[in-house]
Amino acid sequence: MVEKPITGSRKAFMTGNEIVTWAALASGADIMFGYPITPQNEVMHYWTRLAPRFGREFLQTEDEISAGFTVCGAVQAGRKAFTATAGPGNVLMQEPFGMAEAMRLPVVAVIQQRGGPSSGTVVYSQQEVTLTAYGGNGEGHRIVYSVATHQEIFDYVIKAFNTAWTYRFPTFVLGDGYQAKMREPLELYDPAERGIQLVPPTPLVGLPGAIGEDREPQHLCNIYSLEEELYDAVLRLEKDYQAMAPLVVEWQEKNCDHAELIVVSHGVVSRAADDAVQALRQEGVRAGFFRPVTLRPFPQQQLREALRRSGAGRLLVAESSQGQLLRLLRQELYGERVPIDALLMPGVGIVDEDIIAKVKSIL
Amino acid sequence: MAKLTRVALAGEGGQGVQVVAEIIAEAAYDEGKQAIYIPNFGLEQRGGVSVAFIQVSDTRIGAPKFHTGDVVVALSSRAVRRTHQYSGPQTLYVYDSSFELSPQDYPPQAKQVLGIPALERSKAIHPRVFNIIVMGLVVGLTGIVSYDALKQALDKKLGYKFEKNPALRDMNYQALDAGIEMAREALKGGEFAHAE
Repeated sequence: MVEKPITGSRKAFMTGNEIVTWAALASGADIMFGYPITPQNEVMHYWTRLAPRFGREFLQTEDEISAGFTVCGAVQAGRKAFTATAGPGNVLMQEPFGMAEAMRLPVVAVIQQRGGPSSGTVVYSQQEVTLTAYGGNGEGHRIVYSVATHQEIFDYVIKAFNTAWTYRFPTFVLGDGYQAKMREPLELYDPAERGIQLVPPTPLVGLPGAIGEDREPQHLCNIYSLEEELYDAVLRLEKDYQAMAPLVVEWQEKNCDHAELIVVSHGVVSRAADDAVQALRQEGVRAGFFRPVTLRPFPQQQLREALRRSGAGRLLVAESSQGQLLRLLRQELYGERVPIDALLMPGVGIVDEDIIAKVKSIL
Repeated sequence: MAKLTRVALAGEGGQGVQVVAEIIAEAAYDEGKQAIYIPNFGLEQRGGVSVAFIQVSDTRIGAPKFHTGDVVVALSSRAVRRTHQYSGPQTLYVYDSSFELSPQDYPPQAKQVLGIPALERSKAIHPRVFNIIVMGLVVGLTGIVSYDALKQALDKKLGYKFEKNPALRDMNYQALDAGIEMAREALKGGEFAHAE
């Protein structure tokens, strides 16, 4: 019997990449496939050190396209598999991620955003929002959790495996280079001790019984002869996705009561936004805080309700990209008449003072 | 100690800046404080400027990055140019005065600029402990962690080396004390205070 990676719970002070590894171990992940790219390298690094101790496996593939497809293969064999990548690696993985959408494969990927376009920087950005939420030649039938703290990296990697194996849509944990590399305190725990049931993986191919006699054929299809067949397949995906959306959508809302303006941000920037809103409230400025935790599906209704309840006359988007969250917001809030201001700082960090100054310049 | 202390530490790749930041952040965490440390470097494996951003607080820390530090330390002339942007009107800016710095290289904004010959000082102990002198300096200037916690974190990080060679432990402790002493002198406006 191989020992449990974590028993009970314990405090830790480690990098985000190291946490991804511990969380994947705690989630019962069987195997990681990956190809090195900064700033996610240490996920692979720690996994290769720790995985053998707990009977888990690793394969470094020849590139990110293969890493994505090998994850697609492993999950069909009934293994909990995952990968981690960033930037240009995320671009290459869109082809396998698209296949995972088409075939409903429970693929889990951790994305540690770096600066772009192209090789950009190895440091940090929030410029992989569009790519992660809507990349590939499909309709964005994926779940994207945008995490903000080290505790959330641990919590949401565990959740991502469960979401993926419950709903069978590719599931992403969207972090960034800061979160990947920085050290921050958190608590590691055994999911079972928190009452979290791990969804067991099941093989999607090679099922027992004779086809046509004992069972229907298992039809995992990513290509169709007729355009009408594809049309029907995409509509089925959309229907299942929309049915799932209310069950997985997550958001955070603070100080929105009687807010004049609501600051919308996601991921690591929401930490600065939270502090900024609290500081503004102390000065008597009626600011509110809204954070989509899932970027796909987007908490559209929840944000519309927050707007209505608060009576806020303005929104401010703050993000480390030139408007990727802003575009999502415009699409999701279509029909609302609230003006949207934006603090756009592509590829660099945003601190509370930036948001406070921007809010004051608006109100 | 202020509620939140922000330090940017910059040097040439290989000078041990990240190790210092890691030990300080670890010491803060061990003392029950909130701590965040982010390393920042370019594409170079060697020879680039390496910057470490450290924040220590009694309460939860929001944004992991900051625009201006309470203390900014630059350990090479390139590191000085790289860190101008992190020095604001309230920043205590420290550079290693072992290398030449012309007045136009000083940060445009700073509350105080101190030149401290840490590299020079390390030669009297061992060039390898240069970064530990710097660590003593940072902690001496900021008081962000206690002396005991820092020593424990140093042991935790380098203990396996000390096991093999006990003389290294003494050398590192000596370096730590030398750094703290230099900080004390500098804050007194003593011999290391900047005067051009």
